[in-house]
Amino acid sequence: MSDKINPKKPFSRRGFIQTAALTAATLALPGCSRKEKPVLSMLTGDFDPLRTYPYRGWEDFYRKIWTWDKVVRSTHSANCTGSCSWKVYVRNGVMVREEQAADYPRINADLPDYNPRGCQKGGCFTEYVYSPQRLRYPLIRTGERGEGKWRRASWDEALTLVSEKLLDNIYNYGPDTNSFFSVIPAMSPVSFCAGSRLAHYIGGVFLSFYDWYCDLPPGEPLTWGVQTEACECADWFNSKYIVLWGSNISQTRIPDAHFAYEARYNGAKIVCISPDYNASATHADLYFRINPGTDGILALGVAKFLIDQDLIDAPYVKEQTDLPLLVLAGSKRFLRESDLKKGGKEDIFYFWDTKQQHAAPTPGSMGSDQKTIQLNGADPALTGTFQVQLANGKTAEVTTVFELLKKELSQYTLDKVAARTGLPAHEIELFAKELGTRKPAMIIHGAGTNHWFHNDLINRSFILLVALTGNIGKNGGGFNHYVGQERIWPEQGFFKLAFPETRKKQRFQNTTLWSYVHSTSKDPHLYNGKPIEWYIQESVKNGWMPLWPKNGKKPRAFIVWRANYLNQAKGNEILESSLWKDLDLIVDINYRMDTTALYSDVVLPAASYYEKVDINSTDCHSYIHPFGKACEPLFESKTDWDIFRALAEKMAEVATKKGLKPFHDDAFDWTRDFTQLAHDWTGKGTIQTDEQAVNFILGNAEETKGMTYQQIQQKPLRFIATDPESWNSDIEQGVAYTPFKHQADKKRPWRTLTGRQQFYIDHPWYIDLGEELPTFKEPVEEKYPLYWNTPHGRWSIHSTWRDHRAMLRLQRGGPIVYMHPDDARKRGLQDNDWVRIHNEVGHCVCRLQILPGEKPGRVTMYHGWEKFLGFKQGGWQSLTYIKIKPTQLIGKYGHVNFRLNYWGPTGNNRDIKVDVEKAKV
Amino acid sequence: MSRHQYAMVMDLNKCLGCQTCTIACKKLWTDRDGTGYMYWNNVETRPGLGYPRQWDRIGGGWKDGSLQPSPLPTMDDYGHAWEYNYEQRLYEGKRQPVMPSPEPKSGCNWDEDVGGMNADANYFFYLPRICNHCTYPACLEACPRKAIYKREEDGIVVIDQDRCQGYRYCIKACPYKKIYFNEVTGKSEKCIFCYPRLEKGEVNACAAQCPGRLRFVGLLDDPESPVHKLVLVHKIALPLFPEKGTQPNVFYVPPFNPPKIGNYGKSIQEDPRVPLDYLTYLFGPEVRDVITRLEAELKKQQEGGRSEALQLLIGRDAETRYRIRPQLVQIQV
Repeated sequence: MSDKINPKKPFSRRGFIQTAALTAATLALPGCSRKEKPVLSMLTGDFDPLRTYPYRGWEDFYRKIWTWDKVVRSTHSANCTGSCSWKVYVRNGVMVREEQAADYPRINADLPDYNPRGCQKGGCFTEYVYSPQRLRYPLIRTGERGEGKWRRASWDEALTLVSEKLLDNIYNYGPDTNSFFSVIPAMSPVSFCAGSRLAHYIGGVFLSFYDWYCDLPPGEPLTWGVQTEACECADWFNSKYIVLWGSNISQTRIPDAHFAYEARYNGAKIVCISPDYNASATHADLYFRINPGTDGILALGVAKFLIDQDLIDAPYVKEQTDLPLLVLAGSKRFLRESDLKKGGKEDIFYFWDTKQQHAAPTPGSMGSDQKTIQLNGADPALTGTFQVQLANGKTAEVTTVFELLKKELSQYTLDKVAARTGLPAHEIELFAKELGTRKPAMIIHGAGTNHWFHNDLINRSFILLVALTGNIGKNGGGFNHYVGQERIWPEQGFFKLAFPETRKKQRFQNTTLWSYVHSTSKDPHLYNGKPIEWYIQESVKNGWMPLWPKNGKKPRAFIVWRANYLNQAKGNEILESSLWKDLDLIVDINYRMDTTALYSDVVLPAASYYEKVDINSTDCHSYIHPFGKACEPLFESKTDWDIFRALAEKMAEVATKKGLKPFHDDAFDWTRDFTQLAHDWTGKGTIQTDEQAVNFILGNAEETKGMTYQQIQQKPLRFIATDPESWNSDIEQGVAYTPFKHQADKKRPWRTLTGRQQFYIDHPWYIDLGEELPTFKEPVEEKYPLYWNTPHGRWSIHSTWRDHRAMLRLQRGGPIVYMHPDDARKRGLQDNDWVRIHNEVGHCVCRLQILPGEKPGRVTMYHGWEKFLGFKQGGWQSLTYIKIKPTQLIGKYGHVNFRLNYWGPTGNNRDIKVDVEKAKV
Repeated sequence: MSRHQYAMVMDLNKCLGCQTCTIACKKLWTDRDGTGYMYWNNVETRPGLGYPRQWDRIGGGWKDGSLQPSPLPTMDDYGHAWEYNYEQRLYEGKRQPVMPSPEPKSGCNWDEDVGGMNADANYFFYLPRICNHCTYPACLEACPRKAIYKREEDGIVVIDQDRCQGYRYCIKACPYKKIYFNEVTGKSEKCIFCYPRLEKGEVNACAAQCPGRLRFVGLLDDPESPVHKLVLVHKIALPLFPEKGTQPNVFYVPPFNPPKIGNYGKSIQEDPRVPLDYLTYLFGPEVRDVITRLEAELKKQQEGGRSEALQLLIGRDAETRYRIRPQLVQIQV
């Protein structure tokens, strides 16, 4: 190989060195085979730094930088779904840096492990801890809301102010005028519970978040009767066909994306469906540059193809779905026992048993005595029209849901789907074929598709694909939705800590509805000729959705912690000028001055993620791990637990001082003695500290029984079991968790009215609106030319890290909107121009980036920018408004009932449109 | 010349562009005065401007046995480390929004996700970059002070922070522009391949913290190391700009984007979304063979077969991806 080195000048010493180098590196390196090799000029002096160096003592300079006094395990609480265990390094009492702990135990030898788990944002959180945004002392507003004028207050003064106001509201206006907003218990349940317990004991309204942020996939509660169920991400590796649909995993699932790309190396194919050619599309085998808002029609076209080509798993469909159930031809309602027998039940349903040639009751429905969906030898017909004799003696025609579905799907021909989606017909066909034949197959679903107004229809259409092909309830398969860290594994323990007198005695409120009704929001669209207000009234009147405060009252006090309500609110401008103005006390508890804090009256400084004790879990993996105190809370900050305990104590003190009589809360027949509030709040003194609260949750949940805070400080631990109340599969050793094995393998009923995956919803509103089956509806019509796309991105977790200097330096320093070159050319816009983005709702002014991967007809701004940073005017939510979908207001329909963060109208925003012009700045 | 050579392989088909490596490096090594604009590790979108801007077009490296120094990049080429006036807006009642200063006109990741066009198809990929710890480092040759050396025991190239005089000839000589001048200390600094960590058996921060798990580290001359296998046995990793003559010790598994729309099922040779000429520009002519081989391996796996090369690239755990030899530190000069 030495002939490859061919020095032009014969330097004997250099020649020797080169030979020595080759014995070290020894081998020809690809790419270095060009003819000419470099020749180093003769060096003078007594040493050759290529070979040896005499002054190496200085190397300690860098060695000393990589030193520390103490390492503490902690994590972050920003709702990223990551749930990553980190080590925080402390030197001279200062948190200097962090590094992933990278010690998640491996599930089995074939599956890649979860290490290192964590992203660039987690890797620089320490900078936040000491940043100018860090809140150091209690602050009381002195200027206008949002002006940023404050005076420093003592804890005593601030808490007294808040306590007096909350108590005044209860006695003068009712406990339902005090509102509480905090998101995502899974990311730090102790902090969450600190405030929810206070809301609970003072009768306050607890607001939802998962539906409000449109992260809830409403198709899951409708079809499966669950909130959201997804496999842990290691299970992606078990797949042979991964469809990234509305999910840009390279950006939004940074710690997990490797499982997909490693699955590809292990034989999976990856399909990416997204209007923009993005960081995940680059790693796909097939990329679909789909027209925005047409995902539903693509799914239904594929469903038609699967059925037409007989690529469906018929035994699975017959046993696990409602597709064989019988529907009355006239009323479009399911055939029920009450139709066939006098006094028959409303929740027993039928299929046509081809063996016995009669309508047989389906086992496992809500009214069925059988707690299994096992068919016991029956063979339900998927197709056909049949006659049944009704209780009134008349004969009625019935058909199957499957027949109706086929009829519905008949309109989604390949040509029509290709034309609407903008995709080549032959590639849609190839995609459908592969989805039907490569097993197991999964859809990884995200906010890209879930944030549309018709998200319920989109979800149901997608779920249909993996149900028809028998992929749900199997490792490596399914419809796996990941948006928001909604899943708290030790759920029952959490409920006990969060709402000690049970959830039945808590005022819960869907935030979308609350924000719409208590502001000047007005959706101009009509639904079946009726404004949304009509549907809201009906829903509230029927007791389908709660609406607090009652009797036309306005909310008066608003307490926000672990959240950034105002910045993230759809219709931010509308809410700021109405709801916000009506509130006479806004309290923000935070470690940093975010937009909501800036627009608050009282700001209380909270401990950062590295100064507290708590726990963290996610649907992306099956481990629990803690927050820890690398330092005691800095400055005058306190942990959320300590803040709410102090508030409870202060309220008790004020109540005692004022001699307040116990308040009788009629809604729950609950006599609330606020002089005893601190006693109640601490569980009669049994749960004083954060660590006791952690151990309370761990000890009261099947998933974590026997674990203690001290143990999980040592190492993340895998959950030991699942509580069947909360879960649909067991935790199995050596197997990645995936949901619905209880149904697929153990034949337990699905948690729906029919006991099956229910694609047919025969609620009258669904029938009236033509949505009893998955169907395609166009996006809501808006006048402007460009879709306003505000997806989750890589540079922030919602608003957290949006104002973080280290992150901003790796972007363009502030908010930017992405536009396709053609759209920019049409408008005479140049890269980095200041532009005004506007529609009938409002406007904002920011910089433009021209991006060829963007889809023409759409502009994108990754969401979460703090309104105070980088915008010359407005903010990214200045263009949005709240638009409630009527079908999401229903309740009291079998499994479809209001439940906080499980079922309620979503705060969708993907249908919004805008125009962009050069800004005058 | 060094007795052993540490090397790194980066698999571009696993890179997410998340910059966790950038931050891992920054928080560990360049979170000091004078280092704000420096990214010893950076990730740039290719094709694109790069960091510093146009570094690949301005010169450096060797030609016919002589150094080819480039001009010094300017601060605008690197991008300024913006500062922000948070206090005024958040606490002092001044209504103006928090803004970066100086006004952003360029930056280290300015053209993120822009890439290029191949007919009407957009294409791009991420290129993470550290110092290449070259076998024939142009920087070392260029230093009149002889303050840059290659560590005898492991081949890591470092700048003596005591003896460096800040002449910056090294910056001009480096074809990868991976040396940065610290105006506060008056010294030049660069990636040190995390020698303090390797000496203690810990892999480089950029690799240890990479959630895409695309980095493989070991001695190139250790037949058991993953880098040896990927570079010399499977032959699927190539150095960047081999014609610059410095013989880099960082190697890349070249990227393959999906086929253009309507061409699903076509091979890279038939329908390269990333033009092969562009890949050749970056990785030399061998890239055509490598990318074809990679595609064949992928097909083998997708049709139910087994590819040893891809099984290694899966890199199921840290033990597979890294082979660190802390005992090398014993062989000090």
